[in-house]
Amino acid sequence: MNFHSRQSHRDSAMRPAGPPSRLARVLVFSVGLALILSGAMPLARRIFADTNPSVHLTVANAAPREIEGSTQQSVLRDYTAAWKGLSTALAHNTLAPLDENFTGFALDKLTERVKDQQQNGLTTRIIDHGHKVDAVFYSPDGSAIELKDTASLETQVLDGGNVIHSDQAQVHYYVILTGAADRWKVRVLESAK
Amino acid sequence: MRKLFFIALMIAACCFAENRANGAELRVPDHAVAGQALSIATSGSGEGTLLLIGPGEVIKHKIRLGENVEIKGEELKHAGRWIAIVRGGSPQSQVFWVEPGDPDNLSFLARPSRVPVAHPGVISGVAFTFDKYQNLVTQPTDVTFTLSVGGTTASQKVTTKNGIAWVRSSSAKKAGAAQFVAKVGDVTVARVVQQVASDPCNLRMHIAGENKDGIKVQTDAIRDCTGNPVPDGTIVTFIETDNTGRSVVDARIKKGIATAELPASQKAHISVASGVVLGNELNVGGGE
Repeated sequence: MNFHSRQSHRDSAMRPAGPPSRLARVLVFSVGLALILSGAMPLARRIFADTNPSVHLTVANAAPREIEGSTQQSVLRDYTAAWKGLSTALAHNTLAPLDENFTGFALDKLTERVKDQQQNGLTTRIIDHGHKVDAVFYSPDGSAIELKDTASLETQVLDGGNVIHSDQAQVHYYVILTGAADRWKVRVLESAK
Repeated sequence: MRKLFFIALMIAACCFAENRANGAELRVPDHAVAGQALSIATSGSGEGTLLLIGPGEVIKHKIRLGENVEIKGEELKHAGRWIAIVRGGSPQSQVFWVEPGDPDNLSFLARPSRVPVAHPGVISGVAFTFDKYQNLVTQPTDVTFTLSVGGTTASQKVTTKNGIAWVRSSSAKKAGAAQFVAKVGDVTVARVVQQVASDPCNLRMHIAGENKDGIKVQTDAIRDCTGNPVPDGTIVTFIETDNTGRSVVDARIKKGIATAELPASQKAHISVASGVVLGNELNVGGGE
């Protein structure tokens, strides 16, 4: 009797369970997908951080001089390169990308920032989600252009490999570009509330 | 399903709690100005480190948590977006903004450096206003532009827009070094715009001598239409045409006049020009 009852219990334990419900399968799949995405997203961000940021330039409001088509293209190219250079410089604490794209006060300030970061063991990762840029001034002699930029940026400050600050915001910038030998260089880059 | 919902709720609660905790531990001012002292409030206890990461610098201070941290004005030089991070336990951080100070510096571009007299809207001046620490001052500010030459002065007040004021001006009728000055508050920056004589006006020549070897032609004193002498070194071209062909001589103005020796001819036609300006014509041998 006793034996019989134990045998019966074993049978019920060995009996194959019924097929998992549809809801459970969806849940397991969702959790797996979330795990994959959570691992892949930071990787994708790092990959895209080294590509050119998206910059949309409008020149309709430029005064007192109209910005010619070729100048518009070169401003777009050089301002995009400046942001890429800035991201690289702050992420790796290197000065070369700054020298290529910045001059004057902007170069002085950013050079100081990179040196200070290096001294304190910090780096800054900028994940650039794009810029809406409006040209507001083009000097009569064609030597200087002022831009107003609304940038969507994710900023991470890292101490060693650890993220000690992270935020995502729309930041407004006043930018002054001046003509250099073969390109426009950023002379002023100032964020404002 | 209930467990999953419970876990999600717990995660959301933790995120909210962390967010609230961050806000409570570090209080940064709403209004800060470059070059002015700043106080940052912290909470908690024990030792910590305050990092201030600005557009052009990183400031690091050892602090006691729970006390206010005083940042000196000379440390806070750069306007823009700053990040304050307190390290001591889990990192706490806040973003704050620093505005530029009062205008204390001007970058002034005056173009061109050399310009002909009596040309409308040919001179431009662009002024960029900066504070003591080279931050662009974007608040509207009055800039006064003054252009003076030979006792005449023209002045114009322009309000900056996005940190820039600009003006366009005509060159004066009198040649000379014009002082082009931009002024904001007590700060004055001067540039020199050299105003030179314009194209010659009423270019006239005459025969200064003639012999069997050649014809010497000479201009009268060469001046522009407002009476300024055209600078020495300006090229004047003499052209002699006769039945043997064409002779061209380029002569430079010396002491206000230009002189040239042309080949002798029985009957020739001589013309004179400088740049795009044509002068009188002479006929030699057949009378003027």
